[in-house]
Parts: sequence; C-alpha cells; structure tokens
Amino acid sequence: MNIEFLTFLRREIYRFMVLYKQTIVPALLSSLLYILVFGETLGNKIPKEYFATSYMSFIVPGLAMMSVITQSYQNSASSIMQAKYLRFIEDILIAPLSGLQVSLGYIIGGAMRGLICGWAILVMCIIMPNTDFNVDNWFLTMLYLLTVSWTFSAFGVIIGVIAKSWDEIGSFSNFIFMPMTFLGGVFYSLEMLPNWAQNISLINPIYWMISGLRYSTLSIEEISNVTSLVICLSFSTLFTIIASYLFKTGYKIKS
Amino acid sequence: MNAIEISSLKKTYDTGDEALKGIDLNIKKGSFFGLLGPNGAGKTTTIGILTGLVNKTSGNAKILGYDIINDFKLARKSIGLSPQEINLDVFFSIRQILLFQAGYYGVTQKLAEKRVDTILKKLDLYHKKDETSRHLSGGMKRRIQIAKSLVHDPPILILDEPTAGVDIELRHMLWDYLKELNNSGKTILLTTHYIEEAEKLCDEIAIINNGEIIKQGETKSIIKEVSLNTIEVEVDKPSNIKLSDDFDFSIIDNIIKIQTKEVNKEITKIIKEIEQTTTISNINIINSSLEDAFLKLTNK
Repeated sequence: MNIEFLTFLRREIYRFMVLYKQTIVPALLSSLLYILVFGETLGNKIPKEYFATSYMSFIVPGLAMMSVITQSYQNSASSIMQAKYLRFIEDILIAPLSGLQVSLGYIIGGAMRGLICGWAILVMCIIMPNTDFNVDNWFLTMLYLLTVSWTFSAFGVIIGVIAKSWDEIGSFSNFIFMPMTFLGGVFYSLEMLPNWAQNISLINPIYWMISGLRYSTLSIEEISNVTSLVICLSFSTLFTIIASYLFKTGYKIKS
Repeated sequence: MNAIEISSLKKTYDTGDEALKGIDLNIKKGSFFGLLGPNGAGKTTTIGILTGLVNKTSGNAKILGYDIINDFKLARKSIGLSPQEINLDVFFSIRQILLFQAGYYGVTQKLAEKRVDTILKKLDLYHKKDETSRHLSGGMKRRIQIAKSLVHDPPILILDEPTAGVDIELRHMLWDYLKELNNSGKTILLTTHYIEEAEKLCDEIAIINNGEIIKQGETKSIIKEVSLNTIEVEVDKPSNIKLSDDFDFSIIDNIIKIQTKEVNKEITKIIKEIEQTTTISNINIINSSLEDAFLKLTNK
C-alpha cells in the first residue's frame, strides 16, 4: 500500500472520528433507545417460543444492521457530496490516485464507520444488564458487518457521485433503505408473516443480510446462511466495481 | 525536454461548446509562463486537462515527458496546482489540510511536517496553523491555496489566478515569492487577469482566445511586435500642424498623439516637422504595455 492511498484513507477515517458526536454517538443512542423501548415494552408481552430467544435479543442483530446500513451509506455519500459542494474533491481528483484507489478510500472510510457502529451496538447489548444477548460466532459476525457496511458504503459512493443535491442523498436513505430495513425483519420473524408477505421479504436483500447476522450472533437460521453471505459479497463486489468505474471515468465529477 | 508539451489539444463540452480547438503549446523548463486570455477563452480548461480535472476530447499533453493519461501518476506528481476557486476542506485545521495534501503525493509524514511548517512560516500563516479555513480572511485562504500546491515540492507549479481578490501589499508579497520560486528552478504556468502581473513576472506568454492560441513568445517581443508606443507632443498652435503621412497621429486640444513602434528612430523627425509650424512646449513618451498588446490581439 502506498502513502498516497493510505493518506486518503486516513483522511476519510479521521473525518468521522473527529466528528464522533455526529457520526458514532447518535447511532448508538438511537439503537439503545429502540432496544430499550421496543425490547422492554413489547418484549415482555411476546412469548419467547416465537423467536427461540428473548424478543430484546432477537431485535439486536436487525438494529445493528440498520445502523450499519445507515451509517456506512451516509458516510461515503455525505463525504463526497460535501467535497463536491466545497470543491475540495478537486484535491483528490488531481492527486496521483487511480479511480480504484479513490473509490476504495471512500468505501473503506464508510465501511469503517458502519463496522464500528455495528460492533459497538453488539458489544453494548452484550454488556447491558437484563439481556441474554450474546455473539455465538464473532468471525462470521464481523464478516457480515464488514460485507454489509462495505456494500452500503460503496452504494453511498455511487449516489454521492451521481447526486446533485443533499436532498437526493437523503431520499435514498428515507424512502428506500428505511422501508427496506423495517420490512427486512428487524422486529419480527418471517414465520409471523402471511405467505405473500414472506415471499416479498425474500426478494429484499436487506432481509437476507439481517438474517445472516442473526444466524452468526444467535444461531437462528430462518433462511440459508450461505445464501446470505453470497448476497452480501455479491452486492459489495458489484457496487465496488461501479463506484470504481465512476471515478475512473470521472462521470458527473469531471467535465 | 520541455516542462509542458501540448499538441492538438481539443475539448468540446457535452453542451457542444468548443472550449479548445486544437491548441499547441510548449513551455520550457524553468520558465515563468503566462497564459492570458479573456473570460471563457480556454485557460482553465487547459489547466483542467493538464491536472486531470477535465477529460480531453482529443490531442496530447505531456508533463516532463509523462503522458497525462498513460503516465498520469508521474505527470500529476510533477505538478502543484493552485486553482482559481478557493477549495479548502472545512473539517480540518490548516496544518492538517497541508499534511494530507503532502501525503496524497507520497510525502512521508515526517518530511511533510517539516515542509508544511516551513511553507506556513514563509507565507506568514504559521500563527493560523491550528485554525480551520472558516476563520481565515480571503487573502489567507488564497495563500493556503498556494501552500497546497507547494507541499510536495513539485517541479512545475500551475497557478490559476493566484492573486485574485487579494490586496496590493499581499499581491506584491506573492509576486516576490513566486519570483523566488521560479529562480529556484521551478517552472511556473500562470493565468491571470492582471496583465501587469504577467508583464512583471512572465518571461514568456501565450494569448488564448476562443479556444485558440493566437500569440506565443517572449513577453517583451510580443509587446514590441504587437503594440505601438505613443508620443504626446504639447504645442502652442495645433491648428497649424502638418505631419507627413508616415505618421499615425491624432490631435486632441493642443496635444498631438503620434503612435509608433520605433520611438528613438522617429522622435527627431517628428520634432523637426512640428517645429516648422509651431512651438513645442512639452513631450511625453508612453511606452506600450502588455495590456495594449493583449487588447489588440483579443480585439477588445
């Protein structure tokens, strides 16, 4: 790895670390509130047999994934948008960095933020009193967190490059990821849904991602864990190739 | 080998605007080169292509022999750019911005720290090193732009309007610094709207208009070749004046304005002819400037 790329990567990580009160803390706080409010209020009323664990533990992987998705996407999309808006993206475009290096710098930066948030939520839930949540397979868990944060960070790069306004970036988050996540089984098991709704859930990639993390943490396998991993890896690879191509050609960022 | 070689460079934007119509330009190593032209002439597009901000339509460009596409990493490492628009990162301190900038070009952290501090002191910005750009004046931001172009110690500097919007004192300070950098061996490509700046700093210039290079050469030669000096002769009775057709002259009140390329050669003849009819009370010689040449060449 050369100094040029490592410096850029350091800049991207340093950016969200410096702004941790805006980037890390709110994500942890909102997840904590979800867990406490939903877990405590609803959890006590739902029989444990439905989920093979307590309801509070059941929703943890979904909430961690929700945070990973939002944070990794927001990081790369807003970093690029800000750099475009204030024109300091030019410093990166004129630097001796290839399109692949620039896209990887943004992607890894965003993925790190997602990974940190996801990991911190899981750890927070393990050490929280009154929960029986635990991580059964840390290696697989980190692999899921990494591939999903990588996927959405790469998608954030694509949208960051293409978007003309902050509005467009927010729209993806509010109108696409948020519904897909909520309908991806964060708060319920697939078995609780009618057949038609189950079939719809199965075409939602976020459902597979959440299920994968639920398997790696709680060993609950509703659908194939291997397919979940393949989906995560496929999307992360596809979006990385597209993001890299955009920077290589300068689409929408070079005249 | 030239520092910058451009051949048949064309750029047509998606809108259909032909910004560059196949320009050729060679800039010698160590020269202080001025690229002048009115707004929209193609200056910033040329710089954009050289630095990688604009995709060329056709043609070639080389930086110290490195092709800007095939050897883009080596080409870009040889250039330091100070863009026309202020583009400072708002998240970090001035010092941190410059350290990152040096790192983007492969400078080690230790060397970068030393170099950044030296440049900040040289540009009288060291006391602001821990501030973010939001807290700096326009002149300070402009100096940071120049500092950014210098942190990796490139052999070629491309300065797009480096003194735009700065006060006279700072402009003179920057001129001295740029001269010093040029004397230390750096090749400088400058674009500016201040013709006086180009005349003072540049040993060679090219004038670009409507995407074409319409004149290139040594600054002094272009001034001499293109523009005319003016001899103003104040007389007692201008109505009696008779000057031969050899001279291009006009009379305003009691001042005769004669335009000529060769002042020394013509002045004796002019005085002789005028004194035949009236008495001369004053003579004033106005030397032509690059501004005159620029205006003439760009038909402004």
